[in-house]
This record gives sequence, structure tokens and C-alpha cells, in this order.
Amino acid sequence: MKFEDDSQNLRARLRILQILIVLLISVLAVRLYVLQMMKGAYYAERAENQRIRLLPIPAPRGVIFDRNGKILVDSRPIYNVILSREDVKNLDLNQFVEPFSQGLDIDPDYLRERFDQIKTQPAFESIRIKENATSADQSWVEAHQLEYPQLRVEAQPQRRYPENGTLCHVLGYVGEISPEQLEQPKYKDKGYKPGDIIGREGVEAVYDQYLRGRDGYRKVVVDSRGHIQDIIEEVAPQPGQDMVTTIDLDLQLVAEEQLRNAPQKRGAIVVMDPNNGEVLAMASAPTFDPNLFSQRITSREGRAEYNALLKDPKTPLINRTIQGLYPPGSTWKIPMSVAGLQQGAITLKNSNLLCGGGIMVGNKFTRCMGNHGTPDIVSAITHSCDGYFYRLGLKMGVDGIMQMVDEFDLNKRTGVDLPHENVSQTPNLFKPMMEKRGQPWKDIDTVYASFGQVYDFATPIAMLRAVAGVGVGGKLYIPHLLKEFKAVGEPGTPDYRAAINFKPLNSDRPNPKDIEMPEDFHHTVVQGMWGVVNNGGTAARIKMADFEIAGKTGTAQVVGLGKDVGENKDHSWFVSYAPAWKPEISAIALIENSGFGSQFGAPAVRAVYDEYYRKTRGGEPPGTQIAQANKKTLPQRSASAAQAADKRQGE
Amino acid sequence: MLSVSGRRSFRDFDWFLALIAIMIVLFGTWQIHNAQPDESYWEKQLVGLGIAFVFMLVVSFMDYRKLIDFAPAFYVFGLVLLIVVLIPGIGMKINGQRCWIKLPGLGQFQPSEFVKIPTVLMLARFFGPPRTGPLSWREMLIGCGILGLPIALILLEPDAGQAITYFPLLAVVLFLSAVRMRLVVAACILSIFLIPAAYMVGVKTGKIKNYQQERINVILDPENADKRGYGYHTWQSIVTVGKGGLLGTRASNEFSQSKLKFLPEPHTDFIFAVTAESTGFVGCILLLLAYAILLSRLITGARRAPDRTGMLVIMAIVGGLAFQLFINIGMALGMLPVIGVPLPLMSAGLSSVLATFIAIGFAISIQLRRFVN
Repeated sequence: MKFEDDSQNLRARLRILQILIVLLISVLAVRLYVLQMMKGAYYAERAENQRIRLLPIPAPRGVIFDRNGKILVDSRPIYNVILSREDVKNLDLNQFVEPFSQGLDIDPDYLRERFDQIKTQPAFESIRIKENATSADQSWVEAHQLEYPQLRVEAQPQRRYPENGTLCHVLGYVGEISPEQLEQPKYKDKGYKPGDIIGREGVEAVYDQYLRGRDGYRKVVVDSRGHIQDIIEEVAPQPGQDMVTTIDLDLQLVAEEQLRNAPQKRGAIVVMDPNNGEVLAMASAPTFDPNLFSQRITSREGRAEYNALLKDPKTPLINRTIQGLYPPGSTWKIPMSVAGLQQGAITLKNSNLLCGGGIMVGNKFTRCMGNHGTPDIVSAITHSCDGYFYRLGLKMGVDGIMQMVDEFDLNKRTGVDLPHENVSQTPNLFKPMMEKRGQPWKDIDTVYASFGQVYDFATPIAMLRAVAGVGVGGKLYIPHLLKEFKAVGEPGTPDYRAAINFKPLNSDRPNPKDIEMPEDFHHTVVQGMWGVVNNGGTAARIKMADFEIAGKTGTAQVVGLGKDVGENKDHSWFVSYAPAWKPEISAIALIENSGFGSQFGAPAVRAVYDEYYRKTRGGEPPGTQIAQANKKTLPQRSASAAQAADKRQGE
Repeated sequence: MLSVSGRRSFRDFDWFLALIAIMIVLFGTWQIHNAQPDESYWEKQLVGLGIAFVFMLVVSFMDYRKLIDFAPAFYVFGLVLLIVVLIPGIGMKINGQRCWIKLPGLGQFQPSEFVKIPTVLMLARFFGPPRTGPLSWREMLIGCGILGLPIALILLEPDAGQAITYFPLLAVVLFLSAVRMRLVVAACILSIFLIPAAYMVGVKTGKIKNYQQERINVILDPENADKRGYGYHTWQSIVTVGKGGLLGTRASNEFSQSKLKFLPEPHTDFIFAVTAESTGFVGCILLLLAYAILLSRLITGARRAPDRTGMLVIMAIVGGLAFQLFINIGMALGMLPVIGVPLPLMSAGLSSVLATFIAIGFAISIQLRRFVN
């Protein structure tokens, strides 16, 4: 100390200050040690998280073709507005509902739903809040970059389905994977993540794993405002496999047109190659527009449209071909005939049974629509004699009917490669049910069950499979829509995905299922069916001169006799294959609430055969004009007489 | 004779002290470049260093005692500057604070940085004369008055951060002017209890607003604080510091916290976080060591000062520097709430560097005269 001032312990006080400074600096050093040495890795990760974003590059789904290479479904690039999860972490998302729903025209309820999902789905990388953003939406996002830097516009391939609902039930549609689906192991284990677009219905759903590509991604660095500063890594997406379906678009369009022109515009038509189960056409009416789900579902209008579809009493979302359960009516007589012969209830030599204009069981008379004397099996099929089959049913007994049901797989799904197929309902289901309730199965029930009413409800596809199987001599193929998935990528590389052909989804099912059916049985039944069209039977009006159709009409009773008018008319069935003796094609039509099978079902199927004839034989099909055809082929009867006969012969 | 005294002055000049200060500024310039590589702040800082060095030389070769004699004049001039800066049109308003005076052609300067020096001189002048007994209440009041005037004017800007940095000047001077030890102890104990109590009362009565609470919460529990709101600065600073690890990211500044704009004010208030990110634990400890050496060297100088006045001047400077150092780095490390106080010698800004170098110049001047009587 250069000056005399020791009286106030100046030396000590300076020392105290010095120690204090050293202490403070030490505190800083300790804190530094904690932050950088002990928790350095943690903070490095936090810093990384806030600057690294994985932006997915959605892979285009495979294109879906018809069997002739016509494009049914493809994708086109659209733009989505997305929120990056990292950017909105810890933010109160409710503050966005109002401005986003107004600025981007999104249903506020939908936004709230989305935001709720994010809270429960931590795996969201980014949240799609608006699909198919218009250029106005994109410029809104652009213009509000300062206010809402979390918003981003991303390009994504969007599914484009045919107009007018063509094939809507077959193709199905895609949509975002739902939280429930994410819980299911079949999605969870395959690495699906929230926000993924998956097939929700139709072949899109069944073959999702082949149709979907593998998403690529861009790993980018963003700044604090979420602006991309740099791309670190880019992995290109791998497109999905293209699918060739068994559908023949020309036949499909004809089938759909037939349904559109039907009295109630409701019904189902399935066309199938009986020799392998390839479905050539599958139409169900009314239809819906699958583009609703792939393009408009996030908009206010789209959601209203969807709700309207759900509430529509005409159930347009239902695929009637595989989900509709209808009393098969007289189409039931075909498997009944085969089973009657197999089980020995009738024999080829003596197959005659009384018609009697009906049958009296107990005190109840069940009538036949005509009086056919004592027809043999061929004539009974051709003229659809109910009385004959009442008696055949009683001879077979309910056990015989149940055996038949089992043999023709009418108590099982057909195994078609579509979701939500319904199982037909038959005595095999109802009898045990009734007995459980202490309600004995009576003979009258057997009578009902023998002609396709009351205890029989079948899907069109199950009926077609059974009858087409009879047509090819007892081979029941699994109906299917997949012809081939084309290979993708270079063989030998890990990304290579080989071509795939149809395999039964349930590998336990034999394909085809063989039904024991001697040639003479087959011949007899086909002769009956041939007669339906070609020998003055119930569908004589659709006869084609050099393309012989074997078929069976059917009428499914909807309400009691007498009330069957207008919208409550019977359903009209027609099931068939052609040519009768060497089937190439089989078709079934069910026209809801229209009347007799001969009136609507048969002409609808005929229209499909006409188109098939044009495609395979060239030239116009013979006897396109039904009235003329009737005159030519049935000169002995006038057109009106033929119609009257149809009615009388009944079903 | 003059040449002899000149040679001696030159020999006794505390080159080491000046060198450390210059090295810290150069190190800081590198960090400013890391923080804002696309801006010219680091170049301006180098120019500022040159100017500051000249000023330091000038001040250190002047006789500090003569300057102390003029202290009241400097002090009044300083107060005038603080009033002038408040006049709209002369004072520039940035972020709602009017604390800059625009100098045509030279840029801008911040009077509140410089007025510390005349305030220190004024305090030293008042408390400098040799004394025998403890401080009287009257003396303490006058000390408070000397400090209170500039603080009041600075609070009008308003720049609470700068105002706070004035308190240690008086505290150190009072402490070394034999304020009664029991008063010091009582003040310490009181503050330990009163500050948290006042905070609690403030929260309960709503006097402390939500955002102010958030700034405290983020220090107490950064993980659960509002990281995007008022806790943002602190949280990002913690992340930036922690990310540095042992050695820092050094050259790869491409995706640094400041480049990506996560870290606010990286070249000024949060320059320490930038340093931590780019040079890691090693760099930070070296920097703290450099500061410790600088301060020790100054304290040594204070011990050797020829008179009380000189000692008080140096120690007030030490107190001011140490306080700013702790506040700024404490803030960067998430230990203290965000207060806009520059880190001496590191933060970009001519005013701060110049004021600090002038202060060091005083310290050197005082040491130079330790043998002269």
C-alpha cells in the first residue's frame, strides 16, 4: 500500500473483493461445466431437433389398369398445406383453428379433430391440414409466412378415380390412416405412421402393401422461422407396383349403364370368367365418387357430402355384389338341382316330380306360379317350377339342403379380394339359431328353404360363383380382381419388387374347389339352364342365335304378395354363363325392386353379353332387338304372349 | 529529464494489462464474426479496438490526479449528455429505448457507457481524501446522490440494464471507504431474505407481471418454462451453450444457433453463448481465466496505487467490470434473468469497448504514477 490507510482494514477489504470475484467466476465455471460437459449431448440433441426436419416425399401409388391396359386409377401431383410437428410443439394449437379455417377454407371441426389427434399421436412428423390446396391457398400460406411460419406447402401425388363413380366399389379409395388402424398390428408392424395415406376400401385397401410405394424424404435444416436453409440428405421415393386388374372396362361400363337405367337405379351385376374366377365386371348401384375421399374430404363441402352418403337410405357406399344379402329366389334351384342328383333325391332316369300348382304342408298352401304337371328336372329348371322344388327340397330334407349349402360354399365368403364381403345366410345359420331358441325346424321351413326364400339370403357374388361352377362342370374358382402386379425396380437390387399374380388371400381355400359332378349330371342341369333362354324358358326373350346362354331367372320377394308394387317390387335376378356348353363368361344381375327376373335381370345380363360378343366375335350380336328376336326364334308365340308366359311360369 | 521520465513511463506502462484486454477484444471479434458472419460488426469492432487503444494510451499517459481535479466538470458534462440523449431528434430510439446519440459520419454512441467514468471519478474525488473513521450517513447520502443522478436519467431512456451496472461502482467505493462491516453484513442478510420475499409478494399482488414471472421461471426450471414466449432467450442461450460441449463446433458455423436465428442478439448480449457454442468448455474457461487475470492485475494495480483516490478509481472499475461480467455470463448460462448488459470487451459495440479501454487507461495511468509523489 502506497498510502497510509490501514485503519479501516483496507487490505482485508480488498482481499474480500478479490475473493468475491474469484467466487463468482468459479460459479460461472461450474455452471459451464454442468451445461457443456454433463448435459452437452442433451443440448446438442435439442439444438439438432429444432433445426432438423424430415420432410417426407410421398411415393406415388401404383397405377391401376383394366385387363386391357386402360388406366383406371392414377395419381397426379397436388399440393397440401402441412404443419411441421416440431414447429408447433408446445404451442396452443387452438389459436390456429380460427385463422386457418377462414384463410384456407377448412372445416373448423376438422381442424380441431386433427389437432386432437396430434396430441395423442406423438409420431406425427407433419400434419396435413389441407389437401388439394388451391393456388389461392398457397398464396395465403405464402403471404402469412411471418405470422404462421409453421405452415408449409408440400407436393403430393393424389389419387384420381374415374368419373361418375365407375368401379368405385371395386377400386375403393385411399385416405389417411386412422388412429384405430395404427393400433392394429397389421399396420403397426409394417411401419405405417400417422399421416400415411393408405387404401381404405376396395382393392386399394386389400392390395395396399403392393400399391403403396416407399416414401422418400428430405432432411433439411431450418432456421428459427422454419425456413429451409439447406438440404442435408434426399432419399427419392420408390413408386408402388402397378396393378393390372381382371376388369374389362368395356363390360364394366355396360353393366353400370344397365344399373343406371334400372327402375330404381339400384342393383348389382358381376361378370366373371368361370374358368379361373377373374372378375370381368363388378357393378353396384347407386355409386359414389371416390374422388370425394381422395380430394375433397377435408373441405366443408366434402364432409357434408360424406355425411349425406352415410345417411343415404339407398346405401351407395355398400358394394351390393359382395355385401348385399338378397333372397336368391329361383336362382337357388341350380345348386338344388345338382345336389338333388348328387344326393340321389332324384335320378337322371326318373327326375319327375309333381308340380301340383303348389304344395300343402300342414294347413298352409304354398303355391307355384304356374301349373307344370309332373316335369322332369330339365323342364323344372327351364320353366322354374316351384312345386317341383318344394318336393325336391322335402325329399332332400333340410340336412340335404344344408349339405348343398356347404358344398357350394354358400355358407362361406367366396374369398374375393375385396374387403367387407358378407357371408350368405342359409338354413345352416338359421336352423341352429331357431333350435337354440326352442323353435323346431318344420317341413314348411324346408319348403321355404328349397326355393330361395325366407331362410336363404345370398350375395350376388356367392350365387354367381356357385352357378358358374356348375357351368364349368363343378369347379368353383375364387372370384378375384387381381391379374398381376408389375415388377418395380432392377432385379437383384434390394428395392426390387417382383411381379405378383393372384393368390387366395386365405391360403387354406382350395382354388378351385372341386364339386363332384359327373358329366351326365352336368349335362342335365345345363340343359335345363340352356332351355331357360333357348327353349322357351323364363328368359327366352334374351336369346342370342349363335351365342347360347345358359341361365336362370329369379325373383326375390321383398314384401308379402299383394304389396309388391312400386319401390317394394321384388328384386329381379338373372344368373348365367355362356356359351352354354363351353362357358367363357358368366354373369349375374340383381335389379332391386323391379319385378320378375326375366323382365330386368335377364336383359341387363344380355347387354353385357352383347358387348362381350362384339369384343370377341366381332360384328353386331345376333338378335339385339329383343322383340324381333322373339318373333324370329319363337314364331309360334307373339311377343305379348311370351311375356304373359313369362309371368305365368313365374319364379 | 523529460526523456528520462518518458522512458520510465514507457517501461512502467502495464503492457500485460493492455495486452490481455486487446486479446480479449480480438477473441471477441472472432466470436462476433461467428455470430454474424454476413454482417460487418466484426470489422467495426476491429476499428473500435484501434480507436479505443489510442484513447487508452492518451488517458494512461495523462496524470490522473489532474483529471480527478476536473471530475465535477466531466460529471456535469456527462449529465448533460444523458439529458441530450433524451431529446427526440438527437437521441435515437431503438427498441423503445432512447439511449443512442447519432454522430454524423462516426456512427452512434451510448452516453450511459461513458458516464460511468466521470461518475467513478466523482465518487473517487469525494471519498478519496485520507480518512480516519467510518463513513457517516451524510457522506453515504452524498455518494448516493452522485450515483443517483445519472441512474435516474438512464432510467428515463429507459435502460434498466445499464442503470444496474452503476450500482457496483458506489458499492465498491463505500465498501472500501470503511462503511461499517455490520452494515455490509446486514445488507447481505437482508437481501437474501428480502429479495425472494419481495418476489413472492409481487407475484401474489400482481405487481410482477406474467412475463416477468416467466423470465424467472425459465431460470428455475428451463425445461418446463414457456420456451417460445418469455423464456425463449434464456432457453435458446442454454441450448447454445450446452451444444458447445468440450471443444465447441469451431469452424463449422454453417448451422450454428445464431446463423439459424435461434439465438437472439448473438453479437451483443449473447456473445458468450456464441463463444460457448464455437469454442466449447475449453474456450469458455480460457476466456474466464483471461478475465480473472485482467481483474487480478487491476486489483494489484489498486494495491499499488499512490493514493486512496487512485485505488478507488481502479477498484470501482474492477467492481463495474466484474459485475457486468457476472450479470452477462450468468444470463447466458441461464442463471440470471435476461438483462441487456453487454459483456465487457467481448460484445460488439464501440461505446462499450471505448469506455472499458478508457477505464483501463485510467488504471494504467494510476499505476504509472505509483513512484511519483
